[in-house]
Amino acid sequence: MSVFQLLSVLFGLFMLYVVRIHYRKKTLTLSESSFWSSTWFLFVIISIFPSLVQGISNLLSFARIFDLVVVIAFMILTTISFFNYLQNKSLESKIERYIRQKALTKAKKSS
Amino acid sequence: MKSNTWVIIPAHNESHYLKRVLTKVLKYWQQVIVVDDGSVDATVRIAKQFPIHLLEHSINLGKGAALKTGCEYAFSKLKASSVVFFDADDQHDSKYLGQMFDALENSPVVFGVRAFSNEMPLARIILNRIASIIVLFTFGQYIPDIPSGFKGLSKVAYKRINWKSSDYLVEMEIATRVAQHKLHFSVVNIPTIYHDLDRGMTVLDILHMLYQMMLWRINK
Repeated sequence: MSVFQLLSVLFGLFMLYVVRIHYRKKTLTLSESSFWSSTWFLFVIISIFPSLVQGISNLLSFARIFDLVVVIAFMILTTISFFNYLQNKSLESKIERYIRQKALTKAKKSS
Repeated sequence: MKSNTWVIIPAHNESHYLKRVLTKVLKYWQQVIVVDDGSVDATVRIAKQFPIHLLEHSINLGKGAALKTGCEYAFSKLKASSVVFFDADDQHDSKYLGQMFDALENSPVVFGVRAFSNEMPLARIILNRIASIIVLFTFGQYIPDIPSGFKGLSKVAYKRINWKSSDYLVEMEIATRVAQHKLHFSVVNIPTIYHDLDRGMTVLDILHMLYQMMLWRINK
């Protein structure tokens, strides 16, 4: 096992631990926790046995498995960033509406 | 003074100027709404000393959001027919309020346009002109002095413009929406009152503005 693989495994195990903590804190629901645990478990397995995705790598004409992993990681990160952006916009809009409604309700004329 | 026409003053940490500004404004116009945008200084306490309508944002949302809150209050609760925005940092001369409201009788939108003097830095003047030229090329209409916070809107224009910007980009969005919807507008020439507390825009703000303009161009 190379150093890079070892680091990937340790990172994956750490992320599994983070998911577990957030499940216990009830930040993540059971289904969310299951999804993220499976994702990081798969990450650990692929880090230990990269040859498992050799077939996909060959099918997509990637020279190395590492390239396939990088491309997938970028796709996942972009998707997460995009959804975070949408959620952030939605939250901003909700906060603005709430603050405005509160200001309008409590509006008063000073003497 | 025309009935149901209101001056809206958005204020965020403006305790330094607000007393002076309100004293001057109330000399010319008695129907004033101050929107405190989450100030942490004495802005609210000062505003309460004057016979005005006070709205308070419990957290800072930005100038665009403050103006929108003021407009919602004026048009929905006070049944206003038109409003004029007036900056709280003493950059405008309140004796022009009458001219602004007069102009609003013939146009749905009125822009208070500053005559650039030597007091304003050259870079600021150039950026100001560039903003107008960008709007001309992108939306087909030349609107002078876009960053000026002294502008008036009728109720109909407010509904048409319907800006989304909650921050300082609101001035730019109002101008682009006016150009986009081909709304008729008038111009009232006002003097420049420039002081060193004027914050201006950074390069990052300009890049943000250009990105937003591209989105406004696509998303009509």
